Amino acid sequence: MSITTVEPWVEPPLKQFVEDARTVLALLLHPSGQVIAQFGFARAVDVMSACALAAAIHASSGELGRQLEGRPFRGLHHAGRDRQLFLAEAQTQRGSFIVLTVFDQESSLGLVRMYFDEFARRLAAAAPPLVRRTEPVLEQHFERDLNKNLATLFGRA
Amino acid sequence: MRSPFDGVLQALTRMRGVRASLIVDETDGIVVDSNLQIGQDGDRVAALAASLYRKARLSAVAARLGSATFMQLEAERGRICAAGRNDLVLVVVADPAANVGLIRVEMMKAAGALP
Repeated sequence: MSITTVEPWVEPPLKQFVEDARTVLALLLHPSGQVIAQFGFARAVDVMSACALAAAIHASSGELGRQLEGRPFRGLHHAGRDRQLFLAEAQTQRGSFIVLTVFDQESSLGLVRMYFDEFARRLAAAAPPLVRRTEPVLEQHFERDLNKNLATLFGRA
Repeated sequence: MRSPFDGVLQALTRMRGVRASLIVDETDGIVVDSNLQIGQDGDRVAALAASLYRKARLSAVAARLGSATFMQLEAERGRICAAGRNDLVLVVVADPAANVGLIRVEMMKAAGALP
């Protein structure tokens, strides 16, 4: 099992989650689209695309939920022919994180949802207190940070 | 709102020693309908029982034993019984001392009536 992370504290909860839920792929990212950890991806370009798409889907489905129910949806599920995906948000004291999970017939939506709830609790418990950044989060730094994170994940740092 | 499974589930949960009865989608492990006593986590039971039942069913086929009809898991503090039909699984959670023979008969009757 190959999990790579930008922030080491996310690794134990994520490892437990992918083992328990028997996921094929897993991605932990900021709502901005910045990758934090990945499991199962072979190429940086795939992680980059998946992060961008997951962040966009999360933003649009969240807004749809707010329009319909006054609050964002709890999770989003899409069933393909062979694989399914589950997208949901986990809250920690370091802010929100999006988790994209891809699973096949070895698992099920019920299992993934159940283990995701446990993962979210473990992640929240593992999250260290937020340290104020010394530099502002600026739009022009997005790509630099993204590339730095991808290089860390794929051993090019 | 009443569901078509209300009667079946209520009858099963009324049996002595039964803590919960659920109809679960076998593929997704999601609760279709349930009748739970207080303190029972329906979503968790549904996900795990459906996964177990599915694997047992596939194992029975792979072992050339034919289709699975009934599955029982005995644990220290309770038992889980499952019987399936057409991608639906009827799941019962019972006390260790419950009469499994009786539960099995009722479950097989109920499973036979599933759509």
